[in-house]
Amino acid sequence: MTSQGGVQYSKIAEIKGPLVVVDDVENAAFDELVEIETKEGERRLGKVLEVGNGKAIVQVFEGTSGLSISGTSAKFVGKLMEMPVSKEVLGRVFDGLGRPKDGLPDPIADKFIDINGEPMNPEQREYPKDFIQTGVSVIDGMITLVRGQKLPIFSGSGMSHNILAAQIARQANVVGTKDDFAVVFAAIGVQYSEAEYFRRSLEESGALKRSVLFLNTADDPAIERIITPRVALTVAEYLAFDLGMHVLVILTDMTNYAEALREISAAREEVPGRKGYPGYLYTDLSTIYERAGKLNGRKGSVTQVPILSMPSDDITHPIPDLTGYITEGQVVLGRDLFRQGVYPPINILMSLSRLMKDGIGEGSTRADHSEVSNQVYDAYSRSQEVRALAGIVGKAGLTDIDLKYMEVGDMFEKEFLTQVTDENRTIEETLNLLWKIVSKLPKNEITKIKDKYIDQYYQGK
Amino acid sequence: MVSNFALEETIDKILHNNEKSVLSNIQSGFIESQKTLDNAIPKLEQEFDKIISDGKKEADKIEKQIIGSSDLEARNKQLLALEIAIDKVFTKAIDQISNMTKSDDYSNLIKSLLEESTQILGTTNVIVNTNSKDKTIVQNLLSKYPGAELSSDTIDCLGGITVKSKDSTMKFDNTLDARIQRMKPLIRKEIASQFGVGN
Repeated sequence: MTSQGGVQYSKIAEIKGPLVVVDDVENAAFDELVEIETKEGERRLGKVLEVGNGKAIVQVFEGTSGLSISGTSAKFVGKLMEMPVSKEVLGRVFDGLGRPKDGLPDPIADKFIDINGEPMNPEQREYPKDFIQTGVSVIDGMITLVRGQKLPIFSGSGMSHNILAAQIARQANVVGTKDDFAVVFAAIGVQYSEAEYFRRSLEESGALKRSVLFLNTADDPAIERIITPRVALTVAEYLAFDLGMHVLVILTDMTNYAEALREISAAREEVPGRKGYPGYLYTDLSTIYERAGKLNGRKGSVTQVPILSMPSDDITHPIPDLTGYITEGQVVLGRDLFRQGVYPPINILMSLSRLMKDGIGEGSTRADHSEVSNQVYDAYSRSQEVRALAGIVGKAGLTDIDLKYMEVGDMFEKEFLTQVTDENRTIEETLNLLWKIVSKLPKNEITKIKDKYIDQYYQGK
Repeated sequence: MVSNFALEETIDKILHNNEKSVLSNIQSGFIESQKTLDNAIPKLEQEFDKIISDGKKEADKIEKQIIGSSDLEARNKQLLALEIAIDKVFTKAIDQISNMTKSDDYSNLIKSLLEESTQILGTTNVIVNTNSKDKTIVQNLLSKYPGAELSSDTIDCLGGITVKSKDSTMKFDNTLDARIQRMKPLIRKEIASQFGVGN
């Protein structure tokens, strides 16, 4: 930060959607922060998207409504957008641009960090292999989240992803270590009631103390949504790599982020890609998702749980599709389960945590974790086939073992999957529940678990 | 008499058999209830453990809530108090700046501000604005900048200058107020560290 300010230009050539084109500009830099001042003296922030031929295209975060060509000026601040960070950001609530929203003053900054972050040196990355307990059985038991992983939740409109996100934010913790844990929660384009729910939920559970909230509500300008995940990740990186904390970043809803990107792209008259999203959507998403990880020789970690609602529940939509290429697995919420009133309605057959195998087992969770999880996965998959068969031939046409599997499927959904929103299950409780389900099967059906674990944990006759 | 004796013997036998059967029933009932009771004990213990563990969990949760929210409340009060103190220091510093006597150093400062501003705008063909107190100092320095003019309009500021190109398309604010504003986050940090915060 310097005391030197920037030049204020008052020759505005054009205002187009969220963009302002400033004429006769010299020395502007790509991504430079710009202060737009209206005739009435109101100030808005923006950043340079393009420079050349004496023109600068500025993207105004707070929108361009009310701006006119005459009387508007643009001050090029001479620096990139920075987020003031310090340990004091914990327990604070900010808006989508990182300004306090809780009535308290700006945090006293320890550092000012460029919100675009520094790319992690791939050689310095450490392979994620430590377990994070979310307290949600189905995630901990079968789609385990690992410190430094990026594991998105694919949801659909109206489903309970926000309740799940808040539950994870309240309950998540690292077990077996005394390292500090923090949650950075970025709500992108959510309704006011949802933003309030997140805030209240963390406040009432006492989890706000170790959390930082960034709230961009649906009525905030769409363009702010481009910044929200970046300021959130900047804070997360500081907490993780400067203060050595394990940080879980929850970004909800990334679909709103992608839509803001599409809006800017359309205003810039770029050639649209699939469904009108810009051709660089993949690259842009990767600049967010790739900010998760662990670094060699550094104590902390940044784990990401981006949540996205799939338009029309379409998993082949460009947003989940491209997200899936970058992230390490996915948690998919199922419409059928949601309709049945199951919470959390996670469809485990479509979900996967690619790093789970390295984060579970002896020393992390329990030696039998992987095997009992595989056995339940297998049994639930079989129960789904049996249910389909029963739909055709009726229950009377099923064999005894088919009926057993059906029972296992029901038990899985009612006792394991279903959980109250404030029920925080330990990994031990989760694994015991998995064994309770496995124990419904006759021993000769258990093919994925070693005998020694069956002898130790099997509760059937 | 003989028949009475036989009758009594039969009755006794029946009574005895009944007594035996009743006793055996009582015995087996007792054993059965003992067994049920024995079986219920582990279940009861399990339930008891579950109630205790649920209660402990709930107590931990409530404790976390109470401690978390009171910690946060205390911290937030501290932040507000700190901000009030910082504001007081700021106000005092600004008062001192506005009341300071304009020495040669100040003239040098204005000179460097003029130098910086014309360099950033890339021209000396500019209109300079300043406050009424600094007008003479600025006027004396402008002779070194060909094309530069001092505006007759004064601005309300602590000191320093604003410079704009003659076609009014570019403006550079180099007043002390603007510089303080730009540096405010760092100054706040400095003041806070004097209060022992943020070190």
